[in-house]
Amino acid sequence: MKRDLMEILACPVCKGDLDLAVFEEKDEEILTGKLCCRGCGESYPIEDGIPNMLPPELREEMAR
Amino acid sequence: MLVDGEDMEDYEVKRVVKDRYGRVAREAGSCCSSSCCGTAEPREIGKKIGYSKEDLASAPEGANLGLGCGNPTAIASIREGETVLDLGSGAGFDCFLASERVGPAGKVIGVDMTGEMIARAEANASRGGYKNVEFRLGEIESLPVEEGSVDLIVSNCVINLVPDKKAAFKDAYRVLRPGGRMIVSDIVLKGILPKFIRESVEAYVGCVSGAAEKEEYLGSIRSAGFEDVRVMEESAFSLDCVTCGPADLKILDGLEISEEELKGVERAIVSITVRAVKPVTV
Repeated sequence: MKRDLMEILACPVCKGDLDLAVFEEKDEEILTGKLCCRGCGESYPIEDGIPNMLPPELREEMAR
Repeated sequence: MLVDGEDMEDYEVKRVVKDRYGRVAREAGSCCSSSCCGTAEPREIGKKIGYSKEDLASAPEGANLGLGCGNPTAIASIREGETVLDLGSGAGFDCFLASERVGPAGKVIGVDMTGEMIARAEANASRGGYKNVEFRLGEIESLPVEEGSVDLIVSNCVINLVPDKKAAFKDAYRVLRPGGRMIVSDIVLKGILPKFIRESVEAYVGCVSGAAEKEEYLGSIRSAGFEDVRVMEESAFSLDCVTCGPADLKILDGLEISEEELKGVERAIVSITVRAVKPVTV
């Protein structure tokens, strides 16, 4: 995921703005990190460069 | 929703859809990949759908899984510098075509709820060196996208798989900027499908039993707030494209339905491309 994508990202649940925490970055590509919603406090993981923006209950359902 | 004679919750439907398309993503490229368009070669399906030879050649190998009913109209309408959102981006085929058209000043975002598909799309993007395309896991009914940030929404044979189509169109409307447009191609029904198809999970993931009746489909686009809702193309959807490979053909065989009944099924299923606009002043 690239940083400039942040502009148009929003929380899927409450549509609030997100804060980005970067754990691992390579060549301007965020590989691991977390997106936290300023509105509802929900957080979304970034793994292998892909933000998982599924709503929490669906994320859990799909992980099973 | 009634599937296989049982009332299935929306999330169960989603799970089946996700499992199925996850499998397609993993198996694609092998001869046994089954798809919503049968087992034919993706490029051949692409040509039938109306993509140009150049378009089909330009995207990375493996980006076109032959799953769509095709949305070349949407691709053709893209202008330089636009932000394009693809609902149900799969392996990324339409996103890569869009990427070339929006150019370096534009942006393309693909959303898909299947992790395997997103992973494939990402791999295709880095192979093809696409800098302005991003993929993310997300749900079409609750898009992880800022309000009013998108110029064009495209979607290719996906919304039929979404249990709550009204919610999907409502959220599409939200993320579009005023004056933004949505061009979706999809499977819709004209008439009623026989019960055994309506209740089949396989037919659902093969795009058919989840499809809405045409007027109802257009109605949910209008009720989301869209204006100027127009069907730009409409074509018959052949039964070869309906069944999901040999297993399904066997299901049909086992039911001993007549040629006439089969024709009825075929007539009831059409592929449409719809264009709709978010009004400038709401």
